[in-house]
Amino acid sequence: MNFEGIHDRLRVIRVPGLLGADLPRPPIPGEKHGKDKDPGRSGDPFVLVDPQRIVEFLHVCRDEDRLRFEVLVDLTATDPKAEDPNLWIGMNLLSIERRQRLAIKALLPKSELRMPSSTSIYRAAQWHERECAEMFGITFIGHPDPRHILLPDDWVGFPLRKDYVFPKEYHGISCE
Amino acid sequence: MGQLEHQFEENVLTTRIDWLLNWARLNSIWPMTFGLACCAIEMMAVGAAHHDIDRFGAGAFRASPRQADLMIVAGTVNFKMGERVKRLYDQMPSPKYVIAMGACATGGGPYFKFGYTVMKGVDRCVPVDVYIAGCPPRPEALLEGLMKLQEKIRRSSVVRKPARTA
Repeated sequence: MNFEGIHDRLRVIRVPGLLGADLPRPPIPGEKHGKDKDPGRSGDPFVLVDPQRIVEFLHVCRDEDRLRFEVLVDLTATDPKAEDPNLWIGMNLLSIERRQRLAIKALLPKSELRMPSSTSIYRAAQWHERECAEMFGITFIGHPDPRHILLPDDWVGFPLRKDYVFPKEYHGISCE
Repeated sequence: MGQLEHQFEENVLTTRIDWLLNWARLNSIWPMTFGLACCAIEMMAVGAAHHDIDRFGAGAFRASPRQADLMIVAGTVNFKMGERVKRLYDQMPSPKYVIAMGACATGGGPYFKFGYTVMKGVDRCVPVDVYIAGCPPRPEALLEGLMKLQEKIRRSSVVRKPARTA
């Protein structure tokens, strides 16, 4: 199925947590330029999901007969702008059986960085969520092994956040 | 050697102990098998047949720091790795030498500004003898660095203190 088919299927079966879909579009031609110019959107079409209901959503995506997304390809987060009140959680699903892919995005407010862990559905999410947790400060509720994965255990701060302050020294070694 | 020459029977060679020790040391610098990033690929090229670091007696890459004389820090050193590098250096027997290979090991390289976990040069955790520029350096550059290290060893002395310069 293509993206429209998957999105229709998700709506028909009333999957919990689905908020909408977003498709790439070309820039709108017109006299506007500079800051007001509409840049359009490139990239993949994605579905927008409520992060607090991600587990139910993924459960349907994995087990529903027409979807069958067996593989979690990626789970990551981005902090697009400092003034943006949300972090973007991005996920990619792959169905080898049905030969289809699905991109998922979820908006997580920076004031409340908590969301349920997807590890009960996809065990592959473990390392990805550990990385998201240390890089962005997201707490994944129900994660079986919430240690750091890349950074040292005593690292301070969340390096991929836009408001990150670079450390001056680490264990007596100057960082400048 | 003038006075001592031809004073002994055949097959006896007279020399200075410094010269002998340095000759032995600089012609058998055993590096440690130790690569951190893309510079390690160049280091492997130096070890392979075309560039052949064995011509300089430094081709015996040892898998244990206890058998190694030289640590070629080939790649990016971050803080988590830096502690391990320090521990490996401490495990090497003296005399031991360190080559900082490439931009990352010399000064942080491309990660200097935004690499939040990258150590800005491996000389912040171990003493470095030779720095090699390049990103990554050509194999010839590593060989030149090795020759610089050999020159340094040739100048060293175990029996007399090195001459003080004013």
